[in-house]
Amino acid sequence: MMGRTIFIDPGRCIGCQACVSACRECDSHRGKSMIHLDYPDEGHSVASLPTVCMHCEDPVAPCAEVCPADAILVTADGVVQQADTTRCIGCANCVNACPFGVPKIDLQAKLQMKCNLCYDRTAYGLAPMCATVCPTGALFYGTLEELQAERPGVQVADSFTFGGSTVTTGVAMVVPADKVQWPVPGGLPVVEINGKDVR
Amino acid sequence: MTEPPKTAEPTPAPGPVQGPAPGNPAAESSPRSPAAVRRRATLAGTAVSVLLIIAIVFGSRLLRDFDSALLPYAVATVFLAFGVAYRYTVWISAPGARRLFKQGWRSFFSVANFRKAPTALPKMIATYLGFQKFLGARSHARWAAHQLVFWGCLLAAAITFPLTWGWFTFTSSTGSGPGYEMRIWGFKIIGFDALSVLGWLMFHGLDIAAVLVIAGAAYFLWRRMKDRGAVTGQRFAYDLVPLIALVVVSVTGLLLTFSSIFLHGGGYEFLAILHMVSVVFTLIYIPFGKFFHIVQRPAAVGMQLFKYTSRRKDEEVLTCRRCHEPIDTAPYVENLRGTMRDLDLGFDEWAEYCPRCKRVLRGNAYLDHVKKGFK
Repeated sequence: MMGRTIFIDPGRCIGCQACVSACRECDSHRGKSMIHLDYPDEGHSVASLPTVCMHCEDPVAPCAEVCPADAILVTADGVVQQADTTRCIGCANCVNACPFGVPKIDLQAKLQMKCNLCYDRTAYGLAPMCATVCPTGALFYGTLEELQAERPGVQVADSFTFGGSTVTTGVAMVVPADKVQWPVPGGLPVVEINGKDVR
Repeated sequence: MTEPPKTAEPTPAPGPVQGPAPGNPAAESSPRSPAAVRRRATLAGTAVSVLLIIAIVFGSRLLRDFDSALLPYAVATVFLAFGVAYRYTVWISAPGARRLFKQGWRSFFSVANFRKAPTALPKMIATYLGFQKFLGARSHARWAAHQLVFWGCLLAAAITFPLTWGWFTFTSSTGSGPGYEMRIWGFKIIGFDALSVLGWLMFHGLDIAAVLVIAGAAYFLWRRMKDRGAVTGQRFAYDLVPLIALVVVSVTGLLLTFSSIFLHGGGYEFLAILHMVSVVFTLIYIPFGKFFHIVQRPAAVGMQLFKYTSRRKDEEVLTCRRCHEPIDTAPYVENLRGTMRDLDLGFDEWAEYCPRCKRVLRGNAYLDHVKKGFK
């Protein structure tokens, strides 16, 4: 987990889309929103889940690893940047390899775009646009100590399981205290048990 | 309505993953180990440099046509050839690039593909590499500026590289002119009057190239200072040095013409050295920074061809396992999964779900297993 990072608490998200609108104002991808707001059980529940780039640390940035053009750079502060416009060939490897479903692609422009933690702001100590406007604190930007000072007793997790693999991330999610020793399930459905297809 | 997905039960967080011990002899000798890649790259760089030297010697008719005043430029191109071949080899040794590189050439050499779409490749080269339509989709101004820089650099390279290698010669058949002959490898290609329009264009090709490059590079420099998107995360050595190099090379080149026309050659020798130094540094910089995209970009045509021919062959389009929205062709997804396996990313089957379903399934898993109150 990075020092100052985003903490996501889906339990607080009310699906208001303020983050989606604010994200469009980010200077590095003006007019295009990079945050995803999904309604996992639409029609049955008001639950909503905001998804920003998780800035994977181990394995470090799978999107960058599968990139055939070396277009995705990870800066020393652990931020996985969006594709270098000079290098990106628009192959969509990153889009389909990302375990969190984050990168977007413009096939006409042959260019990948993704959340870069509002690098134009965070590099200067400002909070990302989404965390700045979130009315409920579902997206919090700061250090873990700052989060815990504001919300006593809150626990976070920064590892996620996908099948047998665990991905450790720079962005963390709020979890109940009894779940903190477990990686958060990444959602990869079980397709096989003892060699039997159970889909 | 979709079935609530079954998700893997969470497992305790594993301890730190033990990587291969440094200096492990098995890892060192693997064809993909960094040491093996460096060896291959050095070999490739040396081979290409030696081939270029041989081509220079024979192309200049055993150095009879070689202009010794241009020696530093020729030496710089040999270093450039080494650097480009070295970095290219390192680049295509990485799993993602290696797999697409192979698939691209496989599509290129496929007779079946050629029969089905003989115009596909020339069309892609023209629209993608020549006119760079994709840049227009990013921004019309950037497209226009890039076209100026691109055609300017291409024109300059087409003139200067063969000249410095002694492949082109311009000789006067009538003593002091105005009749001139252009020869390539000693063979006469064209005869022209130095005072005609063609003659003017032939002798001012580099000035025209410099004007095109200055216009394009000046726009990009302005953008690097004003556009907040471009300024975000820009690095001096990566983003600004190439533009400054292009402007310096072009301006010093134009000053040479200015000196010979208006100053009767005043300051020419100093300007010639300044120009030479800027060109030599720019050539040697090509493999290390932003200019390497000149070498990388054509490989993207291979990727496009692979995707295009997979589609043309009516190969099965892989749809998301959950929502059945198309993801990409089955060969492309299989290629990506192979890349992920090469990289030990143990969730390659996840590539068969669309990005939205990945997020929704993760949201559902969070609801079911982490924070039921989330509902």
